[in-house]
Amino acid sequence: MNIVLRELRASIKSLLIWGGSMTLLIVIWMAEFSAFANNDSMAKLLESVPQGMLEAFGFESFSLSTLTGFMGLVFVYVTLILCIHAILKGNSIIAKEERDKTVEFTLVLPIKRSKIIFAKLIAAALNCILLISYMFGVTMALSQQYLPEENFVKFFVLLIVGTFILQMIFLSIGILLGCAMKQYKKSGYIGASLIIILYIMSVFTDLNDKLDFLKYITPFKYFAPANIKNDLALDWTYVIISLAIIAISLTLGFITYKKRDLYI
Amino acid sequence: MNIYNREVKNRLKSAIIWSVSIFLLIVFFMAFYTGFAADETIWEMVLENYPQELLQAMGMTGVNMATVIGYFTMCMLFAQICLAVQASQYGFSSLSEEERDMTADFLLTKPIKRSKVFFSKLFAALTGLIITNAMVWATTFLCLRFFTGDHEYDPAMFVKMLSVLILFQLFFLGVGMVISVSVKKIKSALSYSMGLAFGMYIISTVGSIVGENTLAYITPFKYFELNTLILEGSFDPVMIIICAAVVVVSLTVGYILYNKRNIRTAS
Amino acid sequence: MSIIEITKLTKFYGKNRGIEDVSLSVNEGEIFGFIGPNGAGKSTTIRLMLSLIYPTSGSATIFGKDCIKFGHEIRNDIGYLPSEVFYYDKMKVKDLLKYSASFYKGNHNKRIKELADIMELDLNRKIDELSYGNKKKVGIVQGLLHQPKLIMLDEPTSGLDPLMQHKFFDLILEENKKGATVFFSSHILGEVQKLCNRVAIIRDGHIVKIEDIKTLRKDTYKKVYVRTEKNAGDAAKFPGVSNLEIIDGEIRFLYKGDINDLLGLVAKNQVIDINIEEPTLEEVFMHYYQ
Repeated sequence: MNIVLRELRASIKSLLIWGGSMTLLIVIWMAEFSAFANNDSMAKLLESVPQGMLEAFGFESFSLSTLTGFMGLVFVYVTLILCIHAILKGNSIIAKEERDKTVEFTLVLPIKRSKIIFAKLIAAALNCILLISYMFGVTMALSQQYLPEENFVKFFVLLIVGTFILQMIFLSIGILLGCAMKQYKKSGYIGASLIIILYIMSVFTDLNDKLDFLKYITPFKYFAPANIKNDLALDWTYVIISLAIIAISLTLGFITYKKRDLYI
Repeated sequence: MNIYNREVKNRLKSAIIWSVSIFLLIVFFMAFYTGFAADETIWEMVLENYPQELLQAMGMTGVNMATVIGYFTMCMLFAQICLAVQASQYGFSSLSEEERDMTADFLLTKPIKRSKVFFSKLFAALTGLIITNAMVWATTFLCLRFFTGDHEYDPAMFVKMLSVLILFQLFFLGVGMVISVSVKKIKSALSYSMGLAFGMYIISTVGSIVGENTLAYITPFKYFELNTLILEGSFDPVMIIICAAVVVVSLTVGYILYNKRNIRTAS
Repeated sequence: MSIIEITKLTKFYGKNRGIEDVSLSVNEGEIFGFIGPNGAGKSTTIRLMLSLIYPTSGSATIFGKDCIKFGHEIRNDIGYLPSEVFYYDKMKVKDLLKYSASFYKGNHNKRIKELADIMELDLNRKIDELSYGNKKKVGIVQGLLHQPKLIMLDEPTSGLDPLMQHKFFDLILEENKKGATVFFSSHILGEVQKLCNRVAIIRDGHIVKIEDIKTLRKDTYKKVYVRTEKNAGDAAKFPGVSNLEIIDGEIRFLYKGDINDLLGLVAKNQVIDINIEEPTLEEVFMHYYQ
């Protein structure tokens, strides 16, 4: 419990920076939305664009003039930022003991190693939850001025839940990297590279039918706003895949950390 | 020279990894080009029917994706993301290395001026970026040679597109360096670099979607927006000047701050 | 000729006082000790001299040149051994020493080998595989390989086994005989007492005393142990007497003042046994801390 509290206290500054930057972005975007709100000519324009073209960029069922449409387009980027934060956090919360040379303190305490990882996992997850709840709150508050349509709230909540699941996926992978790898610098780089690769993959997976299988690999496609809008539900296949990834990563993480030598 | 040598040796492995990754990225993309050619008619129809506002809303999709250069712009955008992360990483980690690894007591008590350390590190970072840059050039022209089939393209456009990349990278290097000497302590250079690189990318993408123009002056992804190159034949000179100015200012301020900095040491 | 000249050197970290109005000078060929409690400002002073950090006010010159303006020049002849030694991980010992040597004019390969032999340091090992004490040895070789005219040591022997400590001191003394000046900051007062000619005591950022070791021990106070059948009444009231204790029938006290007066007091009382000692540097040190 004390470990959780200590880790939380240590993250305050970083949370403020991440939260602050994202707030700035959301405020600007929501302000921009006023230009599109209820602008029917926009909607008509999008109707003239061929389906395949729109699909490539996830624009299929969106019109920039509705709040739902707008949010569907821009929220992807909030998700991207939250996932970068999650994987870096997962990795660093484990690796920091060796990086800051506090290994001889924390890991000599009369607690099992697995308990330590568990406490750090809780702290990191709380970090992610705080950020996403905050984003939810800010966005909802800012959307009120545009009198959101009925389905918007349901849509947005699902979007948030989907994003949260993605955060957990990347958090677990980050933790696995931090636990398994001896060199903390390397594990950070691998996490960052993974995000870059998976993000790029997510953008071009729709371009070509041959590449369709990639949507199972890149988490950014699991809860794509387009699908959520159409079905107003999360696709269960992907939820199961996500849970599997999370479970496997965390299990492997716990196992490897228990067994390995700690690098001082 | 000795500092430069050591720093370069350190950067070499990373520069090679980045170069190879970007090589694979570009090749992978371009290999699919001929597969897309079939959709050319669709692209053409779309382009004809596009109103100006929508072009802006779609951002980079405003160009004919069926042309070699049009298709390549999408590929280049991803390469730019990688180059941005690499340059940011070099920027944030170069000057803060001694304080993070506690080797300041060793290097900074040697009979050298701080400015010598600064320039050695700067040139070592530049060397790494130039190597990667060269790889991008080589890969691009290789792909143009092998993956374009019968389709025509104008090499001059590609040259223009590639030649601004180094300035693009310098932006991230400079900003990274100046921020790294302005803050008290950097525990993890990686979070800062991911933040800067992706932050700039997101500002530019969402900016495109919403048609926001003022933000364009902040992000290098907008300075060298590939659409502008294709639609107008060259990049916006005002943007290029702004980018160059940012680079010069950030490196100068970084230099001054590094010289004045109270270095944190182990004891 | 003074090698180090520090005049009213002051460093504030924001509101926190690092050091204030520190003045001292070190002459050529001296072994100068610099002692003080934790947080007194020893490391701050050293870092200021090496221009790792910059002063709020005051000045420091080494070899007659200002430490900041000419730092890069004067450091050619300074050898610095920090208290905690960190190096670039991926290097081997010999690569690091070669890299270090490349900053100083001349070829130092022979000297590197000599020093490594004396300290029993394996040049082929990777730095991150070394124990703390062995890393310290690398630090020693690295600090001395260019035969510096001024050697600055900060807690140099922490981590070394007693045999190595001995060898290290022999090295330092040898360099000193060849003309090197030594600036020695340490907590281990036995060492300071053995090696140093003069000592400066710093406390709470201020210099408390600068003195020859001998004078320091002499002038502080004397420890007096007296066995007598009389009681201690006279001694207790005598001016200059302090810390009076009676242990095992022996009267012990500290005396500061004219020794003749003390002898007069003793003569008046029938004394069975008397023992007069100079305090160890440790006791002097503690005295300045009270």
